[in-house]
Amino acid sequence: MKRYLLILLFLLLPCAVFAEEEVKIALTPAPIDASDIASIKRGAQFFAANCMSCHTLVYMRYNKLAQEAGVTYEKMPVNIKSWPYGVSPPDLSLEADAKGVDWIYTYLHSFYQDASRPSGVNNLVFPNTAMPGIITTFQGTQVKAEKLPTALFHKQQWFDLVVLEKQGTMTPDKFDQTVTDVVNFLAYAAHPYESSQKSLGWWVLGFLVILFVLAFYLKKEYWKDVKRK
Amino acid sequence: MQRLLAWFYARYPWQEFMNNHLSGYYAPRNFNFWYYFGSFSLLVLVSQIFTGIWLTMEYIPVSDGAFASVQHIMRDVRFGWLIRFMHTTGASAFFVVVYLHMYRGLIYGSYQKPRELLWLVGMLIYLVLLLEAFTGYVLPWGQMSFWAAEVITSFASAIPYIGKGIMVWLRGDYSVSGVTLHRFFALHVIFFPLLIVGIVFVHLVSLHKVGSNNPDGIEIKDHKKDGIPVDGIPFHPYYTVKDILGIVVFLFVFCTILFFAPKFGGLFLEPENYIPANPLQTPEHITPAWYMTPFYAILRAIPNKLLGVIAMAAAIAMMFILPWLDRSKVRSIRYKGTRSKIAITAFTICFIGLGYLGHEPVSPLYTFLARLFTAGYFAFFIFMPFYTATEKTHPVPERLTE
Repeated sequence: MKRYLLILLFLLLPCAVFAEEEVKIALTPAPIDASDIASIKRGAQFFAANCMSCHTLVYMRYNKLAQEAGVTYEKMPVNIKSWPYGVSPPDLSLEADAKGVDWIYTYLHSFYQDASRPSGVNNLVFPNTAMPGIITTFQGTQVKAEKLPTALFHKQQWFDLVVLEKQGTMTPDKFDQTVTDVVNFLAYAAHPYESSQKSLGWWVLGFLVILFVLAFYLKKEYWKDVKRK
Repeated sequence: MQRLLAWFYARYPWQEFMNNHLSGYYAPRNFNFWYYFGSFSLLVLVSQIFTGIWLTMEYIPVSDGAFASVQHIMRDVRFGWLIRFMHTTGASAFFVVVYLHMYRGLIYGSYQKPRELLWLVGMLIYLVLLLEAFTGYVLPWGQMSFWAAEVITSFASAIPYIGKGIMVWLRGDYSVSGVTLHRFFALHVIFFPLLIVGIVFVHLVSLHKVGSNNPDGIEIKDHKKDGIPVDGIPFHPYYTVKDILGIVVFLFVFCTILFFAPKFGGLFLEPENYIPANPLQTPEHITPAWYMTPFYAILRAIPNKLLGVIAMAAAIAMMFILPWLDRSKVRSIRYKGTRSKIAITAFTICFIGLGYLGHEPVSPLYTFLARLFTAGYFAFFIFMPFYTATEKTHPVPERLTE
């Protein structure tokens, strides 16, 4: 018996060695609000003016939106044969569902200067991203922090890891607001049905509550003659 | 109207049917919480069929159009999002209720004589349901759809000599492609649903032949007065009104998820599946849908691919032979001995544990746990003839206790 236990122990031993975990960055919760239509509109404007020259939103009926902002499909370089870094910019209509709003929010905040990259910038949540530093025009240039704060019990946030070297055309507050708007817009672009989904949901649940009361008394009425021991 | 009905009744056994299977069909009066899930699964089946029909009207089963057509349903079709979310939430709800329904059978010994066939037919439904769910999972043609199809069809290649051939035959191509998608669509919307409806009918027919078991595991037909079981009540109206109440509660939970959290934290709809299928880019973690993860965990727990696939198949096969493994004199867990109670508790932990592990990326600790739980899963079945035959059971009362 002892011998078997020993054999078992040796067989299981390699399993118990833990894999070393990489240091991962925490995603900053995006303070978006799906009911804030004004914010979605601002985000849409910003998106149409700054992102749409590369990123499509094929599942949005965006033609109108783009044309209003002066971008037509013909003018978009999405059709060019070879993109600078061999990666064509992804369509963003479902980005908020695929990556999550927090991911986009953190991604847009965490570009930093990196001379080793052809575009001159790198990103914290998406290392070696092919996207150039479009956003740095607004945010300003960030560099990796030299001294990292000690984080024992929590993951690092993007603002722990980079420092703003030179402010861009927006103040940090204005930039946060703009990114929130864009993320809010992209959340809307991913699931434009969400607001009607939720409002219909309350009606349905309310109906079921009334139905429950009726069904409860119906059952009680029928079951009163069932004798229990 | 009266004459029209008389004309109809003379030509169709409507009244006989209603009497034999509803108002004159006696069920034990002590059904508890666990006995709702049979009617819930029937409800979900009907809902899946109808939402499925409506989805088929706008869905395009070709590799170039499938992903976009789902977005078209979600955005442009009036209430298309509602129908699709009913279908996706319904798929998961189906497995929730079916698993609970099966668990009920397990703890109250509903598979024991004379209900072995009923259990077998039910297990067959479960097996076809897994295939139905898998083929449906592929249809949105997102990354997870594609790679799940790739991984699951590749299981066939583990079979020696003929495996590769079978895999290509299943896919209709050397790797998963639009051909695979199109045939999975055909299987998902016609073949498997027809099969499920047919077997569900047989399941109900065999249930009505032997009658329902109950939480006490006592045969109510043993105590009859004027040919009617004294502990039985007519299914209609008693259980129809009770099931209506249960269904309203079920729908409340169902709709809460449907309207407020249809993705269910990435468990019902994975984030990765919002990216169109790309054969050139493998996702970091490929996981099957949550209802298959226990078996996936068993597969991964075994280092050899062929043995892994065999173990996975054996895990399902074990459930089929359950009626012949249980040698206990009593049916219900209420009167079984301590060993059975410990065994069922351990089995529950193992199954849920495997389900969790099958969803997580592999790590040495998790592999160790998966092996432990796999051993526990099989031990529950393999040792069942011994612990059920030797343990001391509690005396079973003559009549229902509540």
